[in-house]
Amino acid sequence: MNKIFCVLILGLLGLGNSAFAAPDAHSILKDSDQARGGGLAGIVWEIRLASRDGGRVDEPQRILVKAVDDSSVAETLEPARFKGSKLLQVERNMWLTRPGLSKPIPISPRQRMSGQASNGDIAATNYAGDYDAQLKGTETLDGEACYVLDLAAKHKRTTYDRIRYWISVKRVVGLKAEFYSVSGKLLKTARFEYANTIEHDGKRIPFISKMVIRDALVDAETTMEFGTVKVKKIAASEFDLGQMQ
Amino acid sequence: MRLVVLALSAFVATASAAESDWRTSWDGTLYGYANSTSLRDDSVLNPGNRVAGLAQHSEVAELRLNLKAENESVRLTARPIISTREQRNAYGTQQRNEAYLSRWQVQVRTGEGWNVAAGRDVLNWGPAQFRSPSSPFYFDNGRSDPMRELVGMDTLKLSLTPDMQSSVSLARIVRSGHGAAQPDVWRDSWLAKLDRRGDEWAYGLVAVKAPNLPAFYGAHGQITVSDALMLYGELGSSAQAVALQSSADAAQPFVAQAPGPRRSTALVGASHAFEDGTSLAAEYLHEGHGYTAAQESAYFQRAVAAPDIALGLAPRLLGRDYLHLVWQSNLMDERGYWRLMFTRNLSDGGNEIAAYGETVLGSEISAFALAVLPQGDARQEFSALLQRSVTLGLKIALP
Repeated sequence: MNKIFCVLILGLLGLGNSAFAAPDAHSILKDSDQARGGGLAGIVWEIRLASRDGGRVDEPQRILVKAVDDSSVAETLEPARFKGSKLLQVERNMWLTRPGLSKPIPISPRQRMSGQASNGDIAATNYAGDYDAQLKGTETLDGEACYVLDLAAKHKRTTYDRIRYWISVKRVVGLKAEFYSVSGKLLKTARFEYANTIEHDGKRIPFISKMVIRDALVDAETTMEFGTVKVKKIAASEFDLGQMQ
Repeated sequence: MRLVVLALSAFVATASAAESDWRTSWDGTLYGYANSTSLRDDSVLNPGNRVAGLAQHSEVAELRLNLKAENESVRLTARPIISTREQRNAYGTQQRNEAYLSRWQVQVRTGEGWNVAAGRDVLNWGPAQFRSPSSPFYFDNGRSDPMRELVGMDTLKLSLTPDMQSSVSLARIVRSGHGAAQPDVWRDSWLAKLDRRGDEWAYGLVAVKAPNLPAFYGAHGQITVSDALMLYGELGSSAQAVALQSSADAAQPFVAQAPGPRRSTALVGASHAFEDGTSLAAEYLHEGHGYTAAQESAYFQRAVAAPDIALGLAPRLLGRDYLHLVWQSNLMDERGYWRLMFTRNLSDGGNEIAAYGETVLGSEISAFALAVLPQGDARQEFSALLQRSVTLGLKIALP
């Protein structure tokens, strides 16, 4: 009887261990990606982008983005003199097309957009696919309990080598990110807001509405506001260079 | 072609009834620019400007519009161009007004991954900047007149894009578009193209068959080696409609062969992007249709007696080997753009330096300048016709 009792106690302890185990960093990251377009069949959104570099304020931009996983097409709507320009990214390949251009121009990953926003920032976020995540603990950020994750790039096509990412425990959305270089130098800090909502798998989930990126090295800042968000399947031909007329 | 357009129109009407969510947009650019070209007084190919009748001064006003209407399954695009141009040389003044569709397309998504398109399409591809050996239609990328954009080919195209990594298209080229040279060698041609893309690479294979020419075969590819470095190349194997054979023995006459013999053209290039976003590209081109140094020298000797034949039937590039360097600002920078180009004809030792710059004057208005400065004598390719050319202009974005 005592043996049976001991086995039961040990079994319960085992269950308790698994029930109260540390949350899985990868699952948290995957869930948080959805609020930034990751893991969806396809997403279309419009971004208003404003950049400041010291005292110089760049012209505001409006961009229409269609994204599926690692592929995106960003079409410039404003300013008028760049209307119709498209930046196509498929995996690590990037091309720029403009109305009247003789042919698409390949763009190196280093030739990012102006301001602090990289091409990766305007596309859907797929951190769970691009980074290995480690849970480093919890912290309170602006009164909200957050998981703190360390993300290390899995492959070369990521925009950043390492990210420290604060994810709300309650809402499971990323609230803050610090982007680091290979040498461990802090490059940028970003804050995220989620005033949009989308419908996914029959549920309404919060969706990113604003991202503010600050350069850690110089006095520069870029604000991206995300509007008219639509979740929908996007045909592969939308990402085909030969059909972008 | 008309039947096909009618069929597409019917499909569009059906689709548009089902898909009432049409989005329309338009924009445009108004260009105004003036060019001054200094011709060679001692030109062998164009003595006294009597053969080519090139303009020495020109002023152009041009409106380029983009019209678009689309829903979930149909996309209609058109790029009308309206221009007026006045050209002057020692023989007089010419006024030319034009209105044409540079490009247009009706594209219909007919099924999972399938698209049908009819229209005027620029069939140009590949990563090379100097020339496009993998496209039989636009070898020179429009470099002969950088201000004039390429006009599409009248095409009916069926495309299959099963996923992000691949696409296949088959096209019937009905004829070359507006302003094409006659006779039109591309009338009633067929084009087949395959494109593949991976993590860090992309390539395309091309085959084109025109009724009166041996088949063209082409390939292009690129590899992103790092955030900064890209390697790329293009290949083409073709026979030209007419090839002006120039024997290295200058005593022999010109021989025009139609069609010309099959030759290969290859370009390899590397592009490096610097931390500040500027990039430097170096390209080497081997042009199988061009002349060796001795053949090019003989070509100019014969041209003294027959400049009209020499210029009228000249190969697309006179030399056989070229080096092309481009240093340019970040194309993603909205505040302006500049580009410096250096080209050396390794066969005749002639050079060409060119520079383009564009600066933003206001939210909708930009100023631009283009200068071309050939270096060499009258018997070297780049300096055979011109001493220099300068274009200054303004462009205004609409609306």
